[in-house]
Formats: sequence, structure tokens, C-alpha cells
Amino acid sequence: MYFVIVTELGIVVSQNNTVSKSFAFDNPASEFVEAKKGNLKNNSVINYLRELNAGFFISDDALLKALKKESLDVQIMDEKQMDEIQANKPQVLVDAGFAKNIGDAMSKLRDFALSLSASRVTEVSQSPDLHIIQAINALDEMDVMINGLSSRLREWYGLHFPELDNIIDSINGYAQIVMAGNRSSLSDKVYQDAGFPDSKVQMLSVIQQKSKGGDISQENLAIVQSIARQILDMAKARNAIESHIESQMNVIAPNVAAILGTAVGARILAKAGSIKKLATLPASTIQVLGAEKALFRALKTGTQPPKHGILFQHPIVHAAPRWQRGKMARAIASKAAIAARVDVYGAGLNQTLLDKLNVRVTEIGEKYKEPTERPPQPQREGHHDFGRRDDRRDRRPRDRDSRGFGRSDDRPRDSFRNRNRDDRPRDSFRNRNRDDRPRDSFRDRDDRSRQGFRDDKPHQSFRDRDSRRDGFRSRGESDGPRREFRGDSGKRKKFGKRRF
Amino acid sequence: MESEDSDFIWLRLDGQKRLATENYVEGNTVYGEKLYKKSKIEYRIWDPFRSKLAAALYIGLDVFPITHGTKVLYLGASTGTTVSHISDIVGYNGIVFAVEHASRVARDFLDRVANFRKNVVPILQDARHPKQYFSVYGKVDVVYSDIAQPDQTEIAITNCQAYLKDGGYLFLVIKTRSIDVTQSPKNVIQSEMKKLQNNFEIIQDMTLEPYDKDHGLVVAKYHAKG
Ligand SMILES: C[S@@+](CC[C@H](N)C(=O)[O-])C[C@H]1O[C@@H](n2cnc3c(N)ncnc32)[C@H](O)[C@@H]1O
Repeated sequence: MYFVIVTELGIVVSQNNTVSKSFAFDNPASEFVEAKKGNLKNNSVINYLRELNAGFFISDDALLKALKKESLDVQIMDEKQMDEIQANKPQVLVDAGFAKNIGDAMSKLRDFALSLSASRVTEVSQSPDLHIIQAINALDEMDVMINGLSSRLREWYGLHFPELDNIIDSINGYAQIVMAGNRSSLSDKVYQDAGFPDSKVQMLSVIQQKSKGGDISQENLAIVQSIARQILDMAKARNAIESHIESQMNVIAPNVAAILGTAVGARILAKAGSIKKLATLPASTIQVLGAEKALFRALKTGTQPPKHGILFQHPIVHAAPRWQRGKMARAIASKAAIAARVDVYGAGLNQTLLDKLNVRVTEIGEKYKEPTERPPQPQREGHHDFGRRDDRRDRRPRDRDSRGFGRSDDRPRDSFRNRNRDDRPRDSFRNRNRDDRPRDSFRDRDDRSRQGFRDDKPHQSFRDRDSRRDGFRSRGESDGPRREFRGDSGKRKKFGKRRF
Repeated sequence: MESEDSDFIWLRLDGQKRLATENYVEGNTVYGEKLYKKSKIEYRIWDPFRSKLAAALYIGLDVFPITHGTKVLYLGASTGTTVSHISDIVGYNGIVFAVEHASRVARDFLDRVANFRKNVVPILQDARHPKQYFSVYGKVDVVYSDIAQPDQTEIAITNCQAYLKDGGYLFLVIKTRSIDVTQSPKNVIQSEMKKLQNNFEIIQDMTLEPYDKDHGLVVAKYHAKG
């Protein structure tokens, strides 16, 4: 009987503890991984074994199967043998001629470990789902920045032309007007170019005459305009990101995209970490992704567990009456779990998933027409102080990317945040920001941007948010913000001249 | 007060007692720790708020089986904060097999620690399948496990069975919250210790307060048997 051993540096064939022949890998990191999958780079090993025409003990399952297919007489090596090889691996490598001496074998094994680890890191960084995750986080962060800057723009330019704030709801429209200069240089043409309908243009020119705003110096105006330009540029970039996410999601995770929509799907993906990880999650976990804080609190104190996390942003859940939302979220989550698995196997879009979901959604809608009573919430004593700091500590490396100004989905709710303020690590970025900021302006800004960004509120896309504002201010531009965000190149070119 | 040990050293800096290890790669820092030179030897300050093993040393360990030449299997290397200090301690004749499965942190680990330290062997794999590890050979003297998984203790035990020598030590960091959020940390540690009964002799257990609120450490001696 012969032994066939797969080592990090090559394949060894031996008999009675003496090496009969060894086959060194040219590129150990990749050939080892392949051999472990049963793929041999060339046929020299198989040819040799055929020549020997004997029985073989094989050290590796996958290789065993591959050799069986070649109708060689093979069986798996017993555990003891394998342990012995493992214990003497450096010596085995020396005997095989893969290394000069024990020290050389050890350093070759380390080199192998370094290059295999490095290639795994590279491989993972190339996977397209990681890029989607970066994109969706970037999108959310840009929304926060655009909203923040836009509020500032309204405040500042508002000293000069206060009436504009109430009339122009769209972020882009406002910024475009500011780009035209001070009040006296605003003309009907400016308003028209910014995409406003005639009725609004008329209203604007009337109000412009009677404005109660003060003068603005050229210096100040230049700064305000630079802010406006930033907003326009960022809005353009964020829309490009959004359509990129849309198309990428449809390529990489078409089923998840069909069930959850591209944006919500991407956020769920980001929470899970990768499409593979998402595919391993049970539906019950997917249902509450993004509501971890509430979940832990529920487990600790015995209060109601959350019904949905990120899924609350799903239009079906969001539009459902309160008492149906949990059920909708569950139905969606269970289909999303299947969808992720189908996507991992790259099986393409499966229409029945979506059809079944729609059936279930209608069913829930009919079955639970009436509001249900909320059960009383039991109160139980909990341990209040364990578990938090580390949670953050563990996330630190990943967090660094997403932390900063952006909304991150795992940000605790406000009340929670305040309660915990003291046990946060002093040096955290978030903390530092909070402390350095002037209190009231921070709160101001936060309140404004929070309107659309509370964890428990649905995430509204940039466009939605605008139209919502239109809604409650009841003075919306009839052509809606959609057109404005799509922009048209003519307009952009015109403003392009003003670039620094 | 500067008591010296061959493994690590207590220094008095700015009126405070500080733990440090002799830098294995001179001039190199891993996580922004301070360097300190004393009689031509460069030390790295070992922060108990960043490393649980340092916290345990501050609190007081009954045994410290990691010294020059020790072989260590480290599960959950993360970005390598603790691994780097262990690498300092075991020196040229020792070796640290460092297992980590998350590629994002492994990237930092490779760039900051593994590439510079010849006694560190990075293993980018899941600690749940110790038989699959590449580049590991022979038995180790110490298994250090800090992987923050619900089944962390079971994973540590399988690794010990595969690679820990008879009479070797297990350092098991227990994340008290990830196992069962409804239990108090002390209870969690107790119930994890029960799982060790069969193959281990418990030497010491502790919570890591005040350095770390959510973790405990169990030190146990391994008695291999069927
Ligand atoms: C708390 S951190 C370790 C911190 C580190 N010991 C230190 O003190 O610097 C836990 C690490 O274990 C890793 N981990 C979790 N489960 C694992 C598994 N099954 N296999 C390998 N690594 C794992 C995580 O990716 C994470 O980086």
C-alpha cells in the first residue's frame, strides 16, 4: 500500500515511511486549494499512481473522490496516520524534498500561510457584493450631508431672501436659484431654467420684489454659492450611486432585489455583511436586521421583541396598517431568505417567489382587516450594564468605514443614545463630534435631518423626501422633484461656467 | 517597583504602573501603543483596555505559561493587538498560529502584524474546522481563544483536542453577552466552565472588570483522554 499526502508545498507519494515520489507545487497557495478540491493541475500524479498499479491511502476527501473517478484503488487514510503526518509535517516536507531542513520547512509553511491568507483577502475584496455595501453606505452618508448642507444653505441665503425657503421645497431647485446670485439678479429665466412651472415663476417674481431680506456682500454670496454648488454636485453623484446600486443589485442579487427592492435589499445586504452570509441567516433574523438594539433589550427585559428593522423601509410594510406590519415583515423576510439562497447559487430571477409573496400579502390584508389590541408589555428586571461597550469594540474595524457623519443603521435610537452617552469610549469619533459641536446648532441640524432619518422611520429616497415636504407644505412644485434630480445637461452646463 | 520578568515587564511611567513587552520588531507599532526605551531595549506598552490578556495580567493571573519559545494557537486574532504582544513574548523560538476568519480584519492583521513578525503564522479560516487549518504542525503549549461566538467554548475544546498538548493550557475569553443576553456575566462564565469539566482542570476564572465589562476569562489545564 502507498500513501498519497497533500501538503501545503506539494503532493507526496510514500511507502513504508519512505518517499517514492513527490510532486512540488509551482504556485503552492493556489494549487493547494485546488488539490483540496480534488483538482490536480496536471496528470503527472495520476499517471504515476496508475503506473504503480497498487492500493492507495489518500489524506484528503476531495482528492480521494477525484482519484476514484480515475478508477484507482483508493481509500481514506485513518485518523492516526493523518495526525502523525500533521505532527511531523516539517519533517515530511524535508523528506519530500520540498524543504532543505526543518527550519526551512517552517519558514516555507509561514510563507505559504502569508500568501494564501493574502490571496483570500484579495479574493474577498473583489466580490461585487462588498462594493454594493460600500455604495449603499455612501448613499446614506451623502443624503445626510446633502440634507445638512441644504439646511445651512436655506438659513444663510435666507438672511438675504427669507421668503424663498417656504416656496421652494426641492433641494436642487433651491441650490440652483442660489447659484444665480443675489436677489436682484434673479429673473424669470433663472426660475424657468431651474425647472419651475410658470405659476411658480410668477409667484417668485412677485415675492422677490417685496422681500424683507437684508443685503448680502459679494464675499458672503461667494461662500453661499460654493455651498450650493457642492450640493448640486453631491446630488448628482448620489443619484449616480443610486442607479449604480440599482443595476448592480439586479445583476448580483436579482431575487433579493425583486423581493426587497434594490435599496432596501442593499441595506439588508450591508447588515448581513455579504450575500453568502445573508443566505445563511434564518428569516427570523432577517426580519429584525437593523433592530438589534431593540432585540437585545427585549431579550433582557422581556418586553416585546421588534417586528421589523430595516424591513420597515419596505414599501409594503411601511404602507400597511400598524397591526399588519409585523406579519408583512415576516412574510417578506421569509421570501427574502429564500431569495438570498437562490442568488448565492446564481440561479437567476425566480418569478414565483415574488408571486407567492404577493399572494401572502393580499391574504394578510384581508385576514387582518381590523386592528388588534396591543398586548400589555411585561416588565422584568434586566441587567442594564453588560454588553454594550464591547459590541462597539468588536465592530471597531468595520465601523471605521461607516462611522462619521453618516446615518448608520445600527445607531441607537435617540433615547438610547442619550442614556448611554457616558459609557461610550471617550475617543470615539462620534463622541468627539458631539462634544466639539456647538450645542444648539447641532441640535438644529440634527432635528432637521432627523426628519427623514430616524432609525425606525422608513428610509425615504432623496426624491421621496422632497415630495413629502411638498405634501405637508402643500405648495409643491407640480413637476415634482424627480425631474430636477435627473437634471438636464443643458442646465448643468450653464452652471458649469461658475465652477472654480 | 520595576519588577522584571523574562516574559513581560512592569514599568513606572508618569507615576503609573504600566505593562510592557519587549518589541520583537524594533520601531514597529501595531495599534498606536507607546514605545519606551530602557537600557537599550525597546518595549511596547500593553494596554489593558485594548487587550484582554493585558487586563487579566493587571488583575492577576495565577499561571502565565507563555514565555520564550512557547507555541500558541490563537483563535480570533482580529487585527492582532493581543497577538502582537504574545509574539513579543514568545520571541524567536516561539510561534503563534493565529486564526481569523473575517477577511476585513485579517487585512489589517496581515499588514500590521503577520507580515513583520516571523513567529506569526496567519490562518485565514473558520475556527470551527481546526482539521482544515493549513500550515499548522505539531502540538501547541497554549490555546488562546477569543472569538465571541455563541458556541465559543465548544469551538475552543475541539481546537484543544486537535492541537493542544497534554498538560497544556487553555485561555478562554468568554464574551458574556453573546452566549445568552438574559444571563448575568457570572452565571454565563459558570455554565461555560461546566462544559470544560471533562477534559480540563480549571485553574482560575475572573471577570475583566474594570477594564472590560462584558468578558470573563477562564484558565484551564488540559488533560487529553478519550
Ligand atoms: C473579540 S475579537 C478578538 C480580539 C483579539 N483577541 C484581541 O484581543 O486583539 C473576536 C474575533 O474573532 C473572530 N472570529 C469569530 N468567529 C470566528 C471563527 N469561527 N473562526 C475564526 N475567527 C472567528 C472575529 O472575526 C473577531 O475578529
